[in-house]
Amino acid sequence: MNKMSTVIGFTFLNKIRAKSFTITTLILALLVTVGMNVPYFIDKFTGDDGPAAIGLIHSNQPELAGSLIAYQEKQGQGATGFTLVEYDQADEQVLQNDIENGKIDGYLQFGEGTEGAFPTVTYISKKDSISQGLQASLQSALQSVKAEYITKGTLSDEQLAALTSPVQIEAIKQAVSGGEATGASGEVKPEKAATINYVIVYVLVILFFMTIMMTGNMIAAEVTAEKSSRIMEILITSVSPMAQMFGKIIGMFFIGLFQIVIFAAVIAINVALPHNRPVLADFNMDLSQISVEVLVFGLIFYILGYFLYATLFAAIGSLVSRTEELGQAIMPITMLSLAAFYIGIFSMAAPNSTLLKVSNYIPFFSPVSMIVRVGLGNTPVWEILISMAILIVAILIFGWLSAKIYRTGVLLYGKRPSLKELRKAMRAYKI
Amino acid sequence: MTKPLVLEQVVKQFGEKTAVSEISFQVEQGEIYGLLGANGAGKTTTMRMVLGLIYPDSGRILYNGKPYGNELQHQMGYLPEERGLYPKVKVSEQIIYLARLRGMSASEADKNLKYWLDRFEVPEYYNKKIEELSKGNQQKMGFIAAVVHKPKLVIMDEAFSGLDPVNVELLKATVKELRDEGTSILFSTHRMEHVEELCRNITILDRSKTVIQGNLTEIKKRYPREEIILNTSTDVTGLEGINGVSSVERKERGYQIKISDVAAAKTILRTAMEQSEVEHFEIKEPTLNQIFIKEVGESNE
Repeated sequence: MNKMSTVIGFTFLNKIRAKSFTITTLILALLVTVGMNVPYFIDKFTGDDGPAAIGLIHSNQPELAGSLIAYQEKQGQGATGFTLVEYDQADEQVLQNDIENGKIDGYLQFGEGTEGAFPTVTYISKKDSISQGLQASLQSALQSVKAEYITKGTLSDEQLAALTSPVQIEAIKQAVSGGEATGASGEVKPEKAATINYVIVYVLVILFFMTIMMTGNMIAAEVTAEKSSRIMEILITSVSPMAQMFGKIIGMFFIGLFQIVIFAAVIAINVALPHNRPVLADFNMDLSQISVEVLVFGLIFYILGYFLYATLFAAIGSLVSRTEELGQAIMPITMLSLAAFYIGIFSMAAPNSTLLKVSNYIPFFSPVSMIVRVGLGNTPVWEILISMAILIVAILIFGWLSAKIYRTGVLLYGKRPSLKELRKAMRAYKI
Repeated sequence: MTKPLVLEQVVKQFGEKTAVSEISFQVEQGEIYGLLGANGAGKTTTMRMVLGLIYPDSGRILYNGKPYGNELQHQMGYLPEERGLYPKVKVSEQIIYLARLRGMSASEADKNLKYWLDRFEVPEYYNKKIEELSKGNQQKMGFIAAVVHKPKLVIMDEAFSGLDPVNVELLKATVKELRDEGTSILFSTHRMEHVEELCRNITILDRSKTVIQGNLTEIKKRYPREEIILNTSTDVTGLEGINGVSSVERKERGYQIKISDVAAAKTILRTAMEQSEVEHFEIKEPTLNQIFIKEVGESNE
């Protein structure tokens, strides 16, 4: 145990001090920062200062202009995303001047409307296009104007409002309780997974995948490097392979954790920046909605899954003699973790699908699928416990097997051994 | 008294191939034991079995009369054939790490490391990375890593390979120093001249089998002296005609004469002194190299 902590400490400190680690972490942190600020910059460059001032000419279609002003007043100043500046005459020179000196951003021109039909609308400004936000708000304003124009006062304001408001579709999940008698029973609790839980599940699944890929590769590469530099022979004669392997795995786990903490801090700082606050508010997230259950089970499965994959990465690393061959050798595990990742991501919309339910009992997929199920579906506790038990048993079996492979593999040099050769070697070495 | 290391009829097979067959030897306290053999003769396999890396198929290995146990990890030091150090880690960090894994406290390991660095006159390597050092210096660091925790039994696989003569002498001196302090050393090489200077007892392996074993001087006595080196200032004639001379070879500064009978030596010397001035005359005892080639019947390189 004492030796294992020595191994953990050495692995951790060495990795932290390595230049490559510092650089990767910095680059990733930078990417995260850039990614988080992109919405703000997009906003900055497209959305211009305040609501657009738009010239409105009365002379051409006074009726339409009037109802647009009425609409604007009804919505309240600023709510529409533009302000209106009224002109009596369509004097191009005056309008042009006003655009030049910034009094208005552009002006609306109504075409000659044929009887009964709504006239064409032209927006004239210095730019050759109209910004998306302005187009949307103008369109909805004019939609309302058009409805009024066509109905010509035959409908009441309420009817008009009802006509123009978009249709809302609300998705509500129905809890399964007592077989098919769903609708009738009073136990139906329509529960919608909180947005924040979606976010947590999403983050956990991605984090899981990233940790496995990054630390897993590091573990395998490190084991191979130790093997090819023959330091392994010294290590194996000083520490039991079990302590050595798990020391390395745990050390790397702390590295991964450390990295995650750094990223979390970077994200937190970015979110806290004044200009990013409104963006977060837009996502409509409420931290009080975080379910403790999701976090706790999510983390447990996260950690268990990590250990399952990490032992395999260590075993594979021990079989390869040179770092160049490593990529090919870890391919199968990479595929496996990719499969788990996609099962998780694609099933987020349907957390109670059969695919996920089956995956729960397959050790390599269960960490991801269980995170999704616990976070978004409604999973009975016994299912979680069984899945966890299977996972733990799998870790013990694969940990034991990996330690054996590790012990044998580190003494085999030359080309990558086949399974048969490995078995033969195990027998020959009496391991 | 129990011996630090005893091998009894140890056999190791890898599948069909026998790597080591029935090897037996004993290493005393404060002795450097030489294990010789061509490449692939089974030296490294024997050492790995002694280290507990792999287990023998039959036979016994006893350490102070007891079989292998985990407590031995703290008492053994190992210098593998290839460096066996982390290339990108500082010398001090990894040697202290290895010493801690072998049960020594960090502060004591640090003290010992500094002692050895001073001994090798390279204290400035303390903060250097292994990859920054030359091959010979890496070998020295590997040597320090093998002995820093004050092991009772040190196993060195080709300890001197790749070193320049100056460093070979330096390492030899330290190995002797360790021996005088009572450390038992099992030492493998395919360079015979190192063995002649260091070892009292040797085992020569050839294709997994023990060919020659025993005390070095006794082994040498078993082989007749059959070579004479003669350096003279001017030419000497008639050497071929002397009884017992099988061949004469002209060298840069004299002759190399092969004899079948040691009695011929006197006649040769007399003949030479009559004709010229003798600068050098030596009846060479067979080198281990020659014995080895004779027994193994092939080049040892």
